[in-house]
Amino acid sequence: MLQLTGVTHVYPNGTQALTDVTLTIPKGMFGLLGPNGAGKSTLMRTIATLQTPTQGQITFGDIDVLKQPELLRERLGYLPQDFGVYPRVNAYDMLDHMAVLKGIASKVDRKATVETLLNQVNLWDVRKKAIAGFSGGMRQRFGVAQALIGNPELIIVDEPTAGLDPEERNRFLNLLAEIGENVVIILSTHIVDDVADLCPRMAVLAQGRLQLEGAPHELIDQTRGRIWSKTISREALADHRERFDVISTRLIAGSTIINVLSDNDPGDGFAAASGGLEDVYFSTLANLRRDIDQTAA
Amino acid sequence: MFASVFAFELRYQARNPVFWVVFTLFFLLTFGAVSSPNIQIGDGGNVNANSPAAIAEMMIILTIFFMFVTTAFVANVIVRDDESGFGPMVRSTRVSKFDYLIGRFAGAFAISAVAFLAVPLAIWIGSLMPWVDPETLGPNRLVYYANAYFLLALPGIFLTSSLFFAVATITRTMMGSYIGVVIFLVLYLIFGALTEFDPNLMTFSAYAEPFGGAAYELLTRYWTASESNTQMAPFDGILLVNRLIWLGVSLLALAFAYSRYQFAEKGLSARQVKKQERAAEKLARQVPLLTDTLPAATPDKAAWVRLVARCKFEMTQVFRSPAFFILVLIGLFNSVAALFFVSELYGTPAYPMTFYVISILQGSFTIFPVIIAIFYGGELVWRDRERKMHELIDSTSIPNWAFMVPKALAVVGVLLATLLISVVAAMLVQTLRGYTDFELDKFLTWYVLPLTVEFASLGILSVFVQALSPNKYVGWALMMLYLVATITFSIIDWNHPLYLFGQGINVPLSDLNGTAVSGAGAWWVRLYWGIFSIMLAIGAHWLWRRGTGVTIRSSLGLLPSRLRSASGGLMLACLAAFVATGVYIYRNTNVLNEYVTGDSREQQLADYEKQYLQYENIKQPSMTAITLKLDVYPELRRFEASGEIEMVNDTGAPVEELHVRFEDEVVQVKSVELPGATLERNDEAFKYRIYRFETPLQPNERRTLTFETVREQVGFRARGNDTRLVHNGTFLNNIEYAPQFGMSRNGLLQDRAPRRKYDLPAELRMAKLEDESARQQKYVGDAAWVMSDITVSTSADQEPLAPGSRVSDETVGDRRVTRFVSESPILAFFSVQSADYAVEAREKDGVDFEVYYYDKHNFNVDVMLDAAIASLDYFKANFGPYQFDYARILEFPGYARFAQAFAGTVPYSERLGFIADLTDLVVIDYVTYVTAHEFGHQYWAHQLISSNQQGGTLLVETMAQYSALMVMQSIYGEDKIRRFLKYELDRYLNARGSEAIEELPLNRVENQGYIHYRKGAVVMYLLQDRLGEDRVNAMLADLLDRYRFKSQPYASSIDLVDGFKSLARDDSERELVTDLLEKITVYDLKVTDAAVRKTDDGQWETTITIAAEKFYADGEGRETTAPLADDIDIGLFSARPGLSRFGTDDVIEMRRRPITSGEQEIVVLTAEPPTYAGIDPYNKYVDRNSDDNIKTVDF
Repeated sequence: MLQLTGVTHVYPNGTQALTDVTLTIPKGMFGLLGPNGAGKSTLMRTIATLQTPTQGQITFGDIDVLKQPELLRERLGYLPQDFGVYPRVNAYDMLDHMAVLKGIASKVDRKATVETLLNQVNLWDVRKKAIAGFSGGMRQRFGVAQALIGNPELIIVDEPTAGLDPEERNRFLNLLAEIGENVVIILSTHIVDDVADLCPRMAVLAQGRLQLEGAPHELIDQTRGRIWSKTISREALADHRERFDVISTRLIAGSTIINVLSDNDPGDGFAAASGGLEDVYFSTLANLRRDIDQTAA
Repeated sequence: MFASVFAFELRYQARNPVFWVVFTLFFLLTFGAVSSPNIQIGDGGNVNANSPAAIAEMMIILTIFFMFVTTAFVANVIVRDDESGFGPMVRSTRVSKFDYLIGRFAGAFAISAVAFLAVPLAIWIGSLMPWVDPETLGPNRLVYYANAYFLLALPGIFLTSSLFFAVATITRTMMGSYIGVVIFLVLYLIFGALTEFDPNLMTFSAYAEPFGGAAYELLTRYWTASESNTQMAPFDGILLVNRLIWLGVSLLALAFAYSRYQFAEKGLSARQVKKQERAAEKLARQVPLLTDTLPAATPDKAAWVRLVARCKFEMTQVFRSPAFFILVLIGLFNSVAALFFVSELYGTPAYPMTFYVISILQGSFTIFPVIIAIFYGGELVWRDRERKMHELIDSTSIPNWAFMVPKALAVVGVLLATLLISVVAAMLVQTLRGYTDFELDKFLTWYVLPLTVEFASLGILSVFVQALSPNKYVGWALMMLYLVATITFSIIDWNHPLYLFGQGINVPLSDLNGTAVSGAGAWWVRLYWGIFSIMLAIGAHWLWRRGTGVTIRSSLGLLPSRLRSASGGLMLACLAAFVATGVYIYRNTNVLNEYVTGDSREQQLADYEKQYLQYENIKQPSMTAITLKLDVYPELRRFEASGEIEMVNDTGAPVEELHVRFEDEVVQVKSVELPGATLERNDEAFKYRIYRFETPLQPNERRTLTFETVREQVGFRARGNDTRLVHNGTFLNNIEYAPQFGMSRNGLLQDRAPRRKYDLPAELRMAKLEDESARQQKYVGDAAWVMSDITVSTSADQEPLAPGSRVSDETVGDRRVTRFVSESPILAFFSVQSADYAVEAREKDGVDFEVYYYDKHNFNVDVMLDAAIASLDYFKANFGPYQFDYARILEFPGYARFAQAFAGTVPYSERLGFIADLTDLVVIDYVTYVTAHEFGHQYWAHQLISSNQQGGTLLVETMAQYSALMVMQSIYGEDKIRRFLKYELDRYLNARGSEAIEELPLNRVENQGYIHYRKGAVVMYLLQDRLGEDRVNAMLADLLDRYRFKSQPYASSIDLVDGFKSLARDDSERELVTDLLEKITVYDLKVTDAAVRKTDDGQWETTITIAAEKFYADGEGRETTAPLADDIDIGLFSARPGLSRFGTDDVIEMRRRPITSGEQEIVVLTAEPPTYAGIDPYNKYVDRNSDDNIKTVDF
């Protein structure tokens, strides 16, 4: 179990990336939602022992991660948001090299690891191709493969489905789901559907703070009966924004559909909508924005 | 559109860090060359550092190096669009191909041209620096710089830009472009090597050499200093044509690039697609090894595997990178070219023996490992971050030490591999040259191992600096700063090995003596800096940035805990070892021995001169007999000398003082006893003693002085380790252990700049020819004619040698003692040697000829013996009796490269003669020549010695040259002499441009080598040709008779000139003698036209049109025309004289005819038709241009 207490990080140039993040993450998939710039990657890197926070504590089971990061690293699998490749190295050799780095000493063990993983992520046929020539999806699959080496107990995947086509995304999520049960997996993303499909627990991080935490279905319940939706024309959008608490707008087949948050039926052509995680997410962000506007004003 | 593309490119490239790095680099290089007092560009001497010639030469050389820079800029134009992915966007705009391609090219070329301005700027600024000797500078004229830049540099830059632009359009990658550069460079070097030594190809290469260097060289090779200082490269003639040719080539390349370049990308051809499919199929057929549960990680057991894998990975990344491939290739080609085409003397190569090859590698290859260490230090440290792999890697369970250690080891591994590659290349060259004695142990212990340690230290420093730097470029800049600082400190002599990182102790190599001179000390210093490198490595480990957002400050904050860990313990242990080693080294270099910097040595010499030169004219008694007991202890490097010197007062007046001095500063004076005299002054620092006779020594009175000295090398020195007293191959002359009488100018400061610096008169000139008093002094040191009795002892496995006949030789216990007694007087300037020799001996006419050598250097021993025998045969027949019953040639270690003549003894460096490769019969046999020259000295120096004044060396060196020429002629024949004489003529004419003070005619020569050796050879040959060999020899024999073993007054050049004048039979011969010996005379003889027709009676009438001039020159090289009236050879031939296969059969007619100034026609009637006609075809005259003497005959 991963426990974060009061994690705060201020970058040397003054940017406050995280403020007082306290979280408990049990075994299983955990979704961390948030917009770009929310501090998700900072948090992920901090947990992955790549950064030390200016304040706070992180423990994983018995391990004090900040004092003994090497112990966590032995159990960690990390897929960063953005990673590159070495030139003139093929997928097989690179994965084998990562296996060495992660401490798989025996050659036989490594062979089994590498070949199983390559097969699992469907890179077996292109194993001798240079990674530098991989497409984005293939590279992502490689990243997953290396994160799974050595049966880690804590897996962190940061924006893993960005840039994948729908089929690849499905395959990836299925892969994660397979492992999901006995391992702590933190899925950090801005794609709401990923969390909705996979995660029994989630949190929303925005502006460096935890805005929301809980099980998705509970959070969705909280919004039941408060989400209303209406189809409008584009010109009417501005007017509706003023009059209602608009939490999301969507374009479907050319028309604009807006969702608003309201305890009561706002009438005026609005219909009750069954809330989804998206609505939870957007309403959280909308509230945040309003709070900021108010403090500013 | 074109203008904006051009302007954009210009601005873009100007912001490229490459531009600034290159600008700085070339600026510093040039600035250092110009402003450093120790580095000389061009010929030095009287040529100013900012003269048009010096500027031109510097620009030409740097343009060649600059080709790497121009490639970087122009290839970038082509490659960056594809690499950055921006290509498709740009190419789908409306820009036309011309504007896009040529506009960008123009921008890149302009930037290169601007970057190259660093060179003239640096020359100009360098000349303004206050510490540069103003005597070496001339006026700064903008037109000099502009001429060199626009005529010489810019076309070269344009050529390389367009050429490699074209290459880049074909290859479309940076790597491909640089391979093109390498190939071009290889071809250029090969071209240079093939054409360098063949004078017949000079004109061809002037047109064909793309940078104008050969053309410039052709136009200016005989320029004197005054011409070099005032004349710019002429914008006409061959140089202009060369520029136009290569401008055309550049435009062609540009046109090619333009036509070849396509906007659209090509897809794969059908064949390539099929190939890929087949490969994929094969791959897919293999079945993966699958498991249900992945194996667990065992980090504790994985330490070794990780280290090996990381090391291997880092090294493979380096080996596969294009830059490494190119660096090694360039290094290899540079050194292979040097190995292949190196020549010893007169164009004759040496056997590529290991010790010789290694020193070439050290000169030509070792800059590249330095570049590799610095460059890859940066690459390795920053690669993970640059490739954005660092998050993946840093979050694995790899331990902290496994970041720095593999990278450091990889750097070492790469450097080791690079050095091994150079060894393989060297062995390849050895094989191709026919030499297969591969001494792998020498390659390993003398070259690979020591250099790996040294370069590894540099590599680890590079890693350390990069670990501290905020980015790769700052790290590189810091390393460049370090390099420049090291070079600068070395130049100003602040380079004690204890404080200058990476500085070592120089280890000269020798087959005879191995690395024994300073090998041990050098290894101690390597250990010292090696330990320091380990400390640096630990430091790098502590400062290593793992993860993201880590700063140096945070790393420093962790230091206290680090100190308590295992690495802290290691650091302390290293520190202790470092200090201990340092103390040991200091004890050797500064306590047991004296550490003297170059500057303080100069100061010492200046003080010595100021105090004692005033005594140089005090008349001193002459030595008459020397008895010595010399004990050599090679293993201990200890030499004990004791002896008695008998002297007589032959000055004609009473002598009150005896000045006794020991010239060599390492000698320890144990005792000096002079009965009947008191020691009035004893300067222990300078080892100069003044004894006052209690009663002045009367004329013809005799006295005996006894002395004891010790010479020893204790421990090792930072520099100046004894190369004369060594384990095997000791070679000491008496100046190095025995006392001299009276003050001499030997060893004082010669160069004007240091002399001015220490307030000494700018020059020490010899006594003028007219100075009668100077005839009382001999010029070889202070050596008188003495009888010698020398007993030498050494260890039992070596053979001692000294002048004199061997009287006894016995081995007692572990010592061997030999006694040598001279039977006729010898010059009191002789050598004693001891080594483990192999001996080859022959006897002829009562003389024992012996060669003492290192057993593997047996290639030319027979040649030497043949030459010695042939020489003495000639000399005995023509000059007079040979005074010894022995003739010894001795090999000594190659720490110096010369041969010398002592009494009946010729020491020969192992780097000269012994390893000459004479297997190709085309080469000039300089072994015979040098041997003959040194045996010539047995007469000219060891029987007749000249006075210490102008012209003295004419009687000694020039006559030895003459003697050697006559021996060569007797062996090889007159017709083959031409090739040899041409070499001597070329070297004389070339060297005139570097004269520092003033050129002098032969009868006044002041020990100027290019005059008494080179010009002397040519002049003497002509004189004997005109006046008759036998008549000249008779005159010389007479001269020898008059002066043999005589003391004051000594012979002078007046005697020789008078002798030649007495042989002249008519006016033109008299004028010739005066022109050749008393003036500086230069001729210009050429055949302008030659035509032949058949006469009615079947004979052949050849009409030769000749232009002839004669000039007299002054000391600075300014010439005035003089009327020519002389009888000069006119020849008709069926083959071209000077080619190796030319022989007597090819001479149709050769006769002297009267020639005057100006143009004239000569008509010759012969039975056969000639193919070639020539005036002075054998180059016996000092001709400004010796290539236009011969012309093919037209029908």
